[in-house]
Amino acid sequence: MSQLLQIENFTLGFPGRPPLLDSVSLQVDDGEAVALVGESGSGKSLTTRAALGLFPGGSEFSGTVSVQGLDTLTAGKQRLMELRRGHASMIFQDPRAGINPVRTVGDFLTETLVRFDGLTRSEATERAVKQLEQVGLRRAKELMDQHPHQLSGGMLQRVMIAAALLNSPDLLLCDEPTTALDVTTQAGIVRLLREEQQSRGMGMLFITHDLNLAASLCERVYVLRRGEVVEHGPTRTVFLTPQQDYTRQLVEATPVIEVGGLGAPVAAGSPLLQVSGLTKTYQLPRGDVITALDDAGFSLPEGGSLGVVGESGSGKSTLARLVVALETATSGELTLRGVPRPHRPLRASERKVLAKEVQIVFQDPYLSLDPRIPVGNAVADVFRLHQKQGRKEAKDSARDLLARVGIGPERFDARPRALSGGQRQRVALAKALAARPRLLVLDEATSALDVSVQAQVLDLVEELRDQFGLTILFVTHDLAVVSRICSELIVMHQGRIVEQGPTARILEDPGDDYTRNLIASRPRPLWDAEPVTA
Amino acid sequence: MTLAIQLPQTGLRRYGSLLSPMAWGALAVAAAVVLLSLFAPVLAPYDPDYVDLNNVLAGPSGQHLLGTDALGRDLLSRLMHGGRTSLLGPTIVVIGSTVLGLLLGLVAGWSEGWLGKVLGRVFDLLFAFPALLMAMLAIALFGKGLFAPILAMTIAYVPYVARLAQSLVVAERSRPYVQAYRVLGFRTPWVVLGRVLPNLIPTVGAQSTLNFGYVLADLAALSFIGLGVQPPTSDWGAMIEESRGALLGGYILPAFWPALVVVMVVVAVNVIGEELSDRIGGKLS
Repeated sequence: MSQLLQIENFTLGFPGRPPLLDSVSLQVDDGEAVALVGESGSGKSLTTRAALGLFPGGSEFSGTVSVQGLDTLTAGKQRLMELRRGHASMIFQDPRAGINPVRTVGDFLTETLVRFDGLTRSEATERAVKQLEQVGLRRAKELMDQHPHQLSGGMLQRVMIAAALLNSPDLLLCDEPTTALDVTTQAGIVRLLREEQQSRGMGMLFITHDLNLAASLCERVYVLRRGEVVEHGPTRTVFLTPQQDYTRQLVEATPVIEVGGLGAPVAAGSPLLQVSGLTKTYQLPRGDVITALDDAGFSLPEGGSLGVVGESGSGKSTLARLVVALETATSGELTLRGVPRPHRPLRASERKVLAKEVQIVFQDPYLSLDPRIPVGNAVADVFRLHQKQGRKEAKDSARDLLARVGIGPERFDARPRALSGGQRQRVALAKALAARPRLLVLDEATSALDVSVQAQVLDLVEELRDQFGLTILFVTHDLAVVSRICSELIVMHQGRIVEQGPTARILEDPGDDYTRNLIASRPRPLWDAEPVTA
Repeated sequence: MTLAIQLPQTGLRRYGSLLSPMAWGALAVAAAVVLLSLFAPVLAPYDPDYVDLNNVLAGPSGQHLLGTDALGRDLLSRLMHGGRTSLLGPTIVVIGSTVLGLLLGLVAGWSEGWLGKVLGRVFDLLFAFPALLMAMLAIALFGKGLFAPILAMTIAYVPYVARLAQSLVVAERSRPYVQAYRVLGFRTPWVVLGRVLPNLIPTVGAQSTLNFGYVLADLAALSFIGLGVQPPTSDWGAMIEESRGALLGGYILPAFWPALVVVMVVVAVNVIGEELSDRIGGKLS
C-alpha cells in the first residue's frame, strides 16, 4: 500500500499565540478509512483543510503535508487546483452551505466537467446522472432540474457526495458530513460512504466528534486534543483499550444505550402533567395547514422522568413549547397539576404562576442567555421576581444556587460570552431552578455540547433531580441520552406518538417499525458481528 | 459538535476600543468643532454681529484670521457662533427621532398583530416624504425659524430609526433568551424596556450618528434658501446665503469657510457612523 496523505510534524498557529496545531503527524494509505476524532476546537478541521492547501489567513505553519507526493504547504496555486479538482475531494457538514441555491443540481454537478474536463454538456449530464444513481438517489434525471431547496438535507448530502466522487478522487476528506442529519438518514449516508470507499479503493479521512460513528466506519483512528494527537492506532484497540487518560474519558463519556442499568426511578406518584388529544397546527400563508403535533396523549407522574425522542420535524419541540406555554394548542387538553391550560396566550399573571410549575432549558447555550447581563444577576433577577427577595438576599441566593450547579463565585459577575458552552448550560439550569419549578423541560439541552461536557451536564441533571425532587421531560434526538435519564419513553415520528412505555421495554423490544429503525440506525462498531441494517 | 458560532455581542461593550485611525481623526474634527462652538462666547475674538464697514470683505490677516464678510463682520467669530445654532438643530432632531423611533419600533416589532403592521405601513408612508419637503410644509404652517424645521425633521427621521429598531426587535424576540424570560414569568414591559432595548442601542446609535450628518446638511440647506434661521443670527447655511452677493463679486472666502465646515462635520460624522455600524454589523453577522 502506498502513502496517500502524509502529514508530518505539522504545526499551525497565529503569531504571538499558542499554536492551534502542534506537531500533528497523520497518515492515510490507499484504500484505507481513517477517522480523526476530537472535541470542538481540537483542530480536526484545520488539519483536514491543510491537505487541500487551505490555511486560515495570517497563520504561520511548518512541517509537511503531502498528498500523493505534492507538498501542499509549498505548492503553487495551479498545482493545488489540479489536486483539488482531480485527486482529493471534500464533503462538509452543512450541504446547504456548499451549493448555490439559485442554480439547479444539474448545473452544480456538470459545471466542472464541462469547464475543465472538456466534456460536452450531454456527456457531462449523462455522467452526473449515473453518479447520482450510484449514490442511491432515485429519479436522478428529474433531480438534475431541481433546486437545492426542493431536496431534503439527506438527499442534498448525497448530491454533495456524488459531486465529490465525480472526478474519481483518490482521497476523500469528510468533515462531519452527517452531523446535521437525523440518525436514520445518517445511517444511509455512512453505509454509502463505506461502500464507495471500499469499492473504489479510495483513501478516506473522516472527521467526527462521534466515537460511535468513527468506529462504525474506519479501521484506524487518530484522537486529537487541543491541536495534538494524543493517541492513534486501530479503531478497535484505541476504543476498547485506550492507553491515554483523555481517550479513556472520551470513550466513557460517549453515550451508549444502557438498558437495565437505568438510574432513573420509576415514579408512581399522582399525575403532574396530563395530556390528551393535544394537537397543534400551523396555517401557512398560502392556505396549507401543517400539523406539527397530532393527537398526543400521555401522563407524567410527579417525580417521574419522561423522554421524548424523535428526529427533526417529529413534533417533539412543539410538544415541549406547548408544555411551557410558548405555543398555544389548537385542540386537545393539557393539564398541569390539575389546572387545565386555556387555548389562548396566557396573561402575565397566569404566566407568573405557571413559571413556578414548569421551566425549560433550551438547546443552544450561546443564545439562551442574555448576552449583556452578568450571569449572577440573571439568576438573582429570578429570585427577586419569584421568591420576593431583596437585592442583597437575591444575590446571596443566586450565589448559592450557582455554586450548586458548579459555577463558582468568581464567575458571578461574568458575562455569558466569557463562559464555555457547558458553563452556560449550568447557568441556564440555575436560572430555571431559581423559580423552584416542579417540572423541568429539557429541550435538546445537551445536544450542542461536546461529549465529555454533555456527560457532566447529564450528571448534574440527575443530581439536581434528586435534590430538588424534579419531574423531568427530556426532549432529544439521542436515544442513549434518554436511556440514561428517563424511565419512561415516548417515540415521535411526523407529529405523532408512535410508541410509548417504559424505556427499558422499548429499547429491548420495540413494538413499532419506526422505533426499530431508529434503534438500528445507531452506528455500530465495525468489529461488532451484527451488520448495520436500516 | 463543531458548530462555529460567532457570538453576537450586544450592549455598549461593542463600542469598546473599536475605532480605526480614520475614525479617531473624524472624532477629533467633530470634537474640535463642537468645543469651539460651545465656548464661542469665551473664545471668539469678536462679537459675531459687530459691523465694521471700514473693513469689508477683507482677506485673512493677523486681525481677522479668516477675513471678514460684506458687512465687515469677523468670519471666524461668526463661524464659531454659527456652530451653536447649526449643531443644536441636528442634535435635537437626532435625540428626538431616536427616542421616538426606538419606542415606535419596539411597539411595532413586539406586537404580532395588526398594530405592528399598521405602524410598519405608517413608517413606509413617512419614508415617501422627502425630509426637506416636510420641513417646508411645517415652515408654511408655523413660520420661519428653528422650531418648524426641527419638528418636521424629527418626524421625517423617525422612520429611519423605527424601521431599524423594528427589525432588530423581531429578530431579538424569537431568540431563546427572550423566550426564557417569558417562561420565567417576567412581565413584557420589563423584558422589552429593561432587557431588549439596551441590546438595540449600539446598532440604533450608529444609525442615528449617520442621521446627524444628513440633518445638519438639510438644515443648512433650509437656512441657505432663507427658510431656516433668520438674520442676523449666525448660522452656517445662512452665512453661505448671505455671501451670495460677495461670491458674485469674486470674493470666495465668506461662502467658502461655512461650506467647508459643513462638509467637514458631515464627513466626520459619516465616518464615525459608518465605522460604528460596520463594527457592530460585522460582529452580528
